[in-house]
Amino acid sequence: MTVTMRIIHWVTVISMIIAVVTGLYIGHPYYQTFIADPAVDKYVMAWNRWWHFIVAIIFDVTAILVGYLYFFSRFEKPYKKLIPNKQNLVEFWEVLLNLITLNRRKKFDSTHSDSFNTVFFTVFHLLLVLMLFTGLQLYVHALASGTSSIGAWWPAMLHLVTDWTLYVFGGNMGVRYTHHFSMYLIIMWVMFHVYYQVWRTIFWQEGDIAIVVGGSKFVKEEEDKKQD
Amino acid sequence: MIDSTEMVKKVFTQKSGRVDTNRGDEYYNSLFENAKNRLSTLREQEPLKDIDMMDVIESEGVNRRDFMKWVSATTATLMLPPMFAPLVAEATELMNRVPVIWLELQDCAGNTEALLRSSAPTVDDLLFDVLSLEFHHALMAGAGHDAEHQLDEAMEHFKDNYLLFVEGSIPMGMNGNYGTIGPSGETFHDHLQRISKHAAAVVAVGTCATFGGVPAASPNPTGAVGVMDIVKGKPIINIPACPANPANMVGVVLHYILTGQVPELDSLLRPKFAFGYRIHDNCERRAHFDAGEFVEEWGDVGAQNNWCLYKVGCKGPMTFNNCSIIRYNEGTNWPIGAGHGCIGCSEPDFWDKYAYQRPMASANIKAPTGGVEKTVDEFGLGLLTATTVGIGVHAVASAVAGKKSGEEGEDK
Repeated sequence: MTVTMRIIHWVTVISMIIAVVTGLYIGHPYYQTFIADPAVDKYVMAWNRWWHFIVAIIFDVTAILVGYLYFFSRFEKPYKKLIPNKQNLVEFWEVLLNLITLNRRKKFDSTHSDSFNTVFFTVFHLLLVLMLFTGLQLYVHALASGTSSIGAWWPAMLHLVTDWTLYVFGGNMGVRYTHHFSMYLIIMWVMFHVYYQVWRTIFWQEGDIAIVVGGSKFVKEEEDKKQD
Repeated sequence: MIDSTEMVKKVFTQKSGRVDTNRGDEYYNSLFENAKNRLSTLREQEPLKDIDMMDVIESEGVNRRDFMKWVSATTATLMLPPMFAPLVAEATELMNRVPVIWLELQDCAGNTEALLRSSAPTVDDLLFDVLSLEFHHALMAGAGHDAEHQLDEAMEHFKDNYLLFVEGSIPMGMNGNYGTIGPSGETFHDHLQRISKHAAAVVAVGTCATFGGVPAASPNPTGAVGVMDIVKGKPIINIPACPANPANMVGVVLHYILTGQVPELDSLLRPKFAFGYRIHDNCERRAHFDAGEFVEEWGDVGAQNNWCLYKVGCKGPMTFNNCSIIRYNEGTNWPIGAGHGCIGCSEPDFWDKYAYQRPMASANIKAPTGGVEKTVDEFGLGLLTATTVGIGVHAVASAVAGKKSGEEGEDK
């Protein structure tokens, strides 16, 4: 993993934790303020929303970056692993078999991001894109006056880009449900992701967990090949 | 079915929610001239009803000063600059030049009731005495063939000129036979189609007429739909809410009298002057929302101190309407002011998606698996549990299998 990708990874991790915590509060404010000051001097919900929006914007920017790297990275271009050609399909299937046969067979090259991993990460980024569009629709919903601190172009652009979600998810309430529900799908994804990386580290014994810290892992040479 | 290309085109040419409150001097000057000319033409026309607005107003104890206050408020509501105030006053006096036919379809007559139940009428209410109501199911004295005859006459006489107000949804189930009207047993659908054919514009009043409202709530036994699903090829103005605010109805009529056009509409065909802003943005309890001070249950300390109603299910953040500004009952109060959260009555699917007394995160909605009532959170938690179990099974199996293969390895 390049330095850029590692930075993106950890920015995403921190952003996501903040987004989930603040998002849960916004959806259902579960703690009450105990500060005795009058309402005008404390901003519990406002701070939660502030953090939620700030990490959302960071999220959006990194999503655009990742989207760019999918196609134009100087290193591995992930989109090449998404093309459903024979090689990729076989690789996808083999990695999946490795997982469900509990590492009984490992007939693929683990020196690079495989097809399964790329598809898995693509699903994640598609979920993030869904969050981005539904979230920005909910956000522009609050800019109903059609203006914003940075000009009228911003809400106008958001409407142009996100209004389709109103049709697809059945109005603003549907967009809200989708935004809220997708959080669970993303948490599910994260759970599997963390598990899989730890599992790989233990069972492949190639130090996979180090990829996202130091940027690289080692790969065992196959003993059969060595003997030959 | 809508053609997919049409659908895509519709999505990407959608008008935004932007409300342009200042369109520049040039625009307003030309609008002013047009309005002035239109009003002088209207003034030359015979009034349809020989009632003088000013007499009505005075007889009800509203003085000229109050009337002018109302005029400036209405001018502002219509998002017109102050120079339009004299024209708005003039248009109000000429209200009896525009014929109105009012249809009552599948609903509770709440919009009519809201107008009738006024104890000390405002100018808005009084306008309905002046308005040339040529036909109104609930208010007219005639019945049966007499009423039909009067309707036919009004339609013939004011062909292509009358404003058609529609209150109530249109049942489409059982070939429309859930709702029939008059001695001929005409279905609501046919009735609406026939009368809207020669209307200048159709104004759907109340949430039933606009989006189907309560009759269209799940499971919608009568197959109720709103006016805009039925009437095609006519300007349609939606004034949702349950009931629609009289000020918004009057605003639309005044705008029509002034300009001869329907006001600027949003993507749901609601006039932007009334539905361009969120309730949440103009709510008197908004500071408590930002401060995280919420009513936890009815009657608690928060409720006594007028804290935010978000946690007891207020839908203000999702609802567009001007009731937080102009309010109801002669401007005395509105639901949130009276301590009840907004139930989003002016939004589509309001009964199914908005009108529950819980925050969004604990709302009962139908799970994607179909049929079973589950909340988003319960369903999400279910998924997470399933993931945890899956991971657990895989981890244990891996550990056991790993051990075995390790032992086998040692044996070798």
